[in-house]
Amino acid sequence: MKTEVVGTGSRGTRIVGSIALVLTALLLLFGLVLSPPEISQGDAVRLFYIHVPSAVVSLYIAFGVTLVGSVIYLKNGSVFWDLIAGAAAEVGVLFLGFALITGMLWGRPTWGTYWTWDPRITSTAISFVLFLGYLAVRRLDLDPVARSRRAAVLGIISFFNVIIVRFSVQIWRSLHQGTTLNPADTQMDNSMLFSFFLGMLAMVATFAWLLMHRFRLAWIEHQLEEDRLATAIAARRGEASTFNPGTI
Amino acid sequence: MTEIDLTPAVEPDQPGRSRIRNWLIVGGIGALLAFILVQALTSARVFFYNVDEAVAQRSELGDETFRMQGVVVSEPETDTDGRMTFTVNFNEVDAQVVHVGEEPSDLFELGQNVVVEGHWEGDAFTSAQILVKHSENYVAEYGDDRPGVGENISQ
Repeated sequence: MKTEVVGTGSRGTRIVGSIALVLTALLLLFGLVLSPPEISQGDAVRLFYIHVPSAVVSLYIAFGVTLVGSVIYLKNGSVFWDLIAGAAAEVGVLFLGFALITGMLWGRPTWGTYWTWDPRITSTAISFVLFLGYLAVRRLDLDPVARSRRAAVLGIISFFNVIIVRFSVQIWRSLHQGTTLNPADTQMDNSMLFSFFLGMLAMVATFAWLLMHRFRLAWIEHQLEEDRLATAIAARRGEASTFNPGTI
Repeated sequence: MTEIDLTPAVEPDQPGRSRIRNWLIVGGIGALLAFILVQALTSARVFFYNVDEAVAQRSELGDETFRMQGVVVSEPETDTDGRMTFTVNFNEVDAQVVHVGEEPSDLFELGQNVVVEGHWEGDAFTSAQILVKHSENYVAEYGDDRPGVGENISQ
């Protein structure tokens, strides 16, 4: 038995990838050219269009998928959901790292520092390390089922910190700004708001595209591992059926 | 019969080596997490005092380094030694700040909400760092010929 590896691309990934590309191009146009500078921050405000969307996508969407996948895996042992959880965490850590870096770049011209141990920033850094830990557990040299179970438990525990990140600016005093997009009281120029929503859509599409590729890669790896095991077992059985003691 | 190559793709680890590697990974991540948590507990737990609280607790705070938040209510003045002096206010309590650290960001100005880090030195607060708080409201910087410029600026 042999699995034909044809790559991680598909009609779906090509469509989602194209959408992500178009949205990213539009984001660059609106974020860098068509939207105005902010009255006090100047051009530094343009980091807002990528910083907030990447943080939202990683913390709530990516790690949310990891949470759901981990719960389902622990409930029914579904390999599909285990791999989805791992792939989402991997892409989520990438996005969160991007959010931390763009936040630092934004903090220097506005706050006056790249980094400070503010509750929002600190809790976000804790999330980053927790999910790095989750990915590390997925690579431990253990029995695959035990490894996936431990990773799933850590994935669920780690999501609790995402809730702390969300409410950190309300629970503690913070240098970080509060909720920017309060539906009841949004105070933002329309072209800035539009650029922000473009940023959200571009990040969601890019996340979906990367998730599909990463999941398919993990699935192919899993299938190859299964095939290798099946081939080895079949070969041993074949040897046993043709075994002739007289030849020894 | 088909010939099958069952040679392992990689040489198996020696006994104990994989366990050491597992512990190194877990230990490294744990150490990083512990470092951030220590910073969080010592620094981020009370990120800043408001001016009125810092003034009320002046004797308890002594020469301890802490952060203080308030609104800049006097035009900052810089002397020949490069020290910048200004007054911050919160809940109708003033505190004079003498800043001796690096220059704050361009957003620093009269009426801006700031967090200064430093300690009490006599009646004044000696600051080594000024962090500028910016609000969650974003106002477009249009040209002067656009109508309504500055009308919805909130400080």
